[in-house]
Amino acid sequence: MMRTRTFAAHTASFLTLGLVLALGCDSDTPTPSGTPTAKPTAAKDTAPKDTPAEPTPPAASPTTASPTPTPAAATPAGVEVLLCDGETKTTVPAGTPGTAIAGALMSEWLAKHPEREWTTQVFERHGLKPAADNHALIGQGQGQTYGRVSEQDVLVWKTEVETLALAGARVFHNGDELGSTVGVSCDMCHPHAANTHPETYPKFQPQLGRVALLRDMINWCLEHPVRAQPLSADDPRMRALEAYMYAQRSGVTLAYGKH
Amino acid sequence: MFFRRRLVVVTLSSGAVAVMLGATPETNEPADAPRTSVVPAELERKAPHGALESERQVELLDGLQLPETADPWLASPYYRALELADNAPTPERIALGRRLYFDTRLSSDGSVACATCHDVSRGFTDRRAGSEGIGDKIGRRNAPTTMNAAFFQTQFWDGRSNSLEDQALLPIVNPIEMGHASGEAAATALSADPTYEAEFQRAYGRGVNYEDIGRAIAAFERTLIFLDAPFDRFVTGEPDAITTDAKAGWVLFNGKARCNGCHQLNGSNPIGTNNKFHNIGVSARDQDFAGLAREALSVLETNNSQEAVDRLALATETSQLGRFMVTRNRADIGAFKTQQLRNIGLTAPYMHDGTLRTLWDVMDHYNKGGEPNPYLDGGIEPLALTEPEIDQVVAFLFTLTDDRFSEQNASEVARQRAQATESRPIRDDERAARRVLPFERHDNAEPRVEETTP
Amino acid sequence: MTTKRTIRYKSVETKYMEERAQALSGLLNLDRRSFVKASLAAMGAAAAASLDTPFSFQPIRMAHADIGEGFRIAYISDSHLYERDLNDRFVNALLRAVDDVNALDPQPDFVLYGGDLAQLGQAKELDLGAQILKELKAPVRMMVGEHDWYLDMGEKWRALFGEPNYSFDHKGVHFVVLNSVVEADFWTARKMSPMERMKTVAGLDNGWQSSFTVGDAQREWLKTDLEAIPTKTPLVVFSHSPLYKLYKPWNFWTDDAEQVQAILKRFQRVTVVHGHTHQLLTNRIGNIHFHGMLSTAWPWPYAPEGLPELTVQMARPDPFNPQDGCGDGQIIVHPDGLADKLYNLWNRNPVTVKKTYLASKGKTDRPEGSPRSSY
Repeated sequence: MMRTRTFAAHTASFLTLGLVLALGCDSDTPTPSGTPTAKPTAAKDTAPKDTPAEPTPPAASPTTASPTPTPAAATPAGVEVLLCDGETKTTVPAGTPGTAIAGALMSEWLAKHPEREWTTQVFERHGLKPAADNHALIGQGQGQTYGRVSEQDVLVWKTEVETLALAGARVFHNGDELGSTVGVSCDMCHPHAANTHPETYPKFQPQLGRVALLRDMINWCLEHPVRAQPLSADDPRMRALEAYMYAQRSGVTLAYGKH
Repeated sequence: MFFRRRLVVVTLSSGAVAVMLGATPETNEPADAPRTSVVPAELERKAPHGALESERQVELLDGLQLPETADPWLASPYYRALELADNAPTPERIALGRRLYFDTRLSSDGSVACATCHDVSRGFTDRRAGSEGIGDKIGRRNAPTTMNAAFFQTQFWDGRSNSLEDQALLPIVNPIEMGHASGEAAATALSADPTYEAEFQRAYGRGVNYEDIGRAIAAFERTLIFLDAPFDRFVTGEPDAITTDAKAGWVLFNGKARCNGCHQLNGSNPIGTNNKFHNIGVSARDQDFAGLAREALSVLETNNSQEAVDRLALATETSQLGRFMVTRNRADIGAFKTQQLRNIGLTAPYMHDGTLRTLWDVMDHYNKGGEPNPYLDGGIEPLALTEPEIDQVVAFLFTLTDDRFSEQNASEVARQRAQATESRPIRDDERAARRVLPFERHDNAEPRVEETTP
Repeated sequence: MTTKRTIRYKSVETKYMEERAQALSGLLNLDRRSFVKASLAAMGAAAAASLDTPFSFQPIRMAHADIGEGFRIAYISDSHLYERDLNDRFVNALLRAVDDVNALDPQPDFVLYGGDLAQLGQAKELDLGAQILKELKAPVRMMVGEHDWYLDMGEKWRALFGEPNYSFDHKGVHFVVLNSVVEADFWTARKMSPMERMKTVAGLDNGWQSSFTVGDAQREWLKTDLEAIPTKTPLVVFSHSPLYKLYKPWNFWTDDAEQVQAILKRFQRVTVVHGHTHQLLTNRIGNIHFHGMLSTAWPWPYAPEGLPELTVQMARPDPFNPQDGCGDGQIIVHPDGLADKLYNLWNRNPVTVKKTYLASKGKTDRPEGSPRSSY
């Protein structure tokens, strides 16, 4: 399961950055409350640590215009750090590296705006195999309309499909979202959607009494191990779950009927 | 008419779904009318061991209008694999087998024929917990029905025969069933009738011999196909063929009641079995089951030979270990073959030892998650079915009886319902509702209701 | 039997009946030589027909002659209990495992609990588990898993079961129990609540958590503990994480595995028994034998990469049997200090991974596999 950052995450990151800048964060502007602040700079000094998660927030603010910051007041509890939106604050122990401070502030801010960065969060937590690369099609068409593929087309295709797959990853890992009445989510038996083998459907499944498509097996799992209500075929959650499973199995040869 | 019905039934699955969703499947043929009932509900039986006299059985058989050659169902590639190359069905072989099926000379005291325990008038079984053989000896296993037996991969509750030919031979030499000293003795007993020689010659080109007895009976049994039930009419496009309750039961069968996990009922495999062996805990209702298994294991760990297995098998209690006695695989301890559901309404009592008297008792057994034992199949778990849901599944099961037995079926519904209303000895609401978990209480106190001492 | 039938296929039943007939006809002659010959022929025929399968037929009770002065331990692992009102399936499975172990005759010397008793580390879950394990007749040795720890950082565990790492000696073997699920702090910076932290750790594929380690402090403790032990003493190490590096994204991984292995290296006979992976796993690194434990709750699929060569995968579990791929098992310690590992798979034939298989680096006594391996 490669952890290549998707364009979606990049896009999200850039949006965040834009947001931060748009809030008027500026090194010369003192905060309204007068509390000494430290710059929420990130990533410029520390290389990302070698951990399974790569949570380094991408908010690499342009550091060219930062003057020497005012020394932060040290309290017994730690140093209080305020984000430039003037609201989000956190307290960290003295000596915490910048990446951790930024991560803390980001978490704090995201906690108040949970829906904003869901794709990044889901991606960081669970990863996703990238969608097929269509760059080779750019500029290869003969005409100006049908067959004309542009960079934007390629990016839209990738972003949209990966977003749906990430939505599926989110549902996949969330028992409440699935409607489980017994606290079970799909990832408890299928980490990273392992062993979902979507390439083997359709197949005749005797216990279902008929030829099963992937969605039929998903519904069986929802009814039995997960103990939730089955989803209809065009339920957004079902579509997202299928997208995620197919995505994670990208590259494996189709073999319908394989038991 | 057989072909037409078969081809339509092959699409059973999609048809079933379509009908369940309320759509009317498109069909150009008019719905088949139900076949008339042939076997009456009440009969006086005067043959030994409670059977109906052979002549009367043969009369009923004629009324069933069985094919003279093999049923077209068995021509599909799926079932060809079960046939033996040297026993292709011909009218002569089938006629010979039919004659042998009813011939009591195949027993050493002339009182037992196949038809004694596989009685046409008693659902091709004998409606007893353990069958009664020569000398009035009662066996430990419930006689499975010969109806649709051709569809199984293996015969007997423990699957120790891999063909009908094999199976037909064994009761003949079993000391508590038909009791001949050997196959040759059986052949000799038949040879007393000179007409047999010619019939055997016509059928197999050989004289009377033991193995051809099995072949001929098997050829006849392959005509005993009974798949014309109200359920079949429902699935092929007659929404009113079964009641609403039965339809709800069919949905439960494939859903909450989890029956289709083992009782697979579909276009390719129409009888409701997966041909596998599962420990559902029936044998564990006997309190000593775990100890019995330990004993067998300890004997076999010191002496793993076939002789040791045989000695154990002849000791009567170890028949409760089921498939294990055949394969000696630990995974098979207490496992018995998934039986068919076709015509299930006619074949009470149920399970390998006949300890479940009615279909309601069967539902109670499954509803509470079987009987816990160290080898219980993990797919058996408490179902928490409500009383109406149980009734619905039972209603569905009764629709699997062939129309030619509809009168008997109706009588059985009434009889079993009366029995079930009077008592439900297997029922355990605490376990069914999961207030007590299966492995929480493993000292099952219910003793067997009947003693079957040989 | 005079005429030969043409049979298109022979099932195990037919073969069985033929061999039985052969064996029994041989027995008619009471002469001892003929008897032996017939028996051997029968057993030979059975073996040739794969009816005699010593690995498939493996009773729960092992013959004592096999292990002489050795001894047996049973294990139950990875039960992932929820409160009963929420999910009773895992509770039922643990009860079944307790039944299995209590039914062993003779009883094992002790029972190891392999970690992840609770699913979300909640006090009620741990209490429920402790209460169920009290039903075991044999003494129990507890080991902690990540699901038990990261809600309250081990507070309830310590209260119930004591320190997570400890050692003891038993019949000449030195046993060490480790807390090998120590993770670097990933939660403080993210301002996670205890339950958020727990749920992150509970997700096998959740990338926010850190890798398992034994940790500096515990490695020091281990060094000190093992200092006085002679190299000839057999060593059995219980660990929740595998103490080697199998697949990092699922934390089938111990980050400081090499350092731990280095500490164990000087011992001639070391067996590591680990939980967390919910599957049959076999590995050997240097002189260290590694065995996984089954879960009672659910099986994991095999990792897409990193599977040790010696591992013969267990048969792919059938989802229609919720207990397939689950079970409990035993560790059979021989007088020479090496151990067999018995996987008591529910509804399957048990699998024994013998010490000789590992000792020979896979050349002899390969366990029986299944054609149905991972997709």
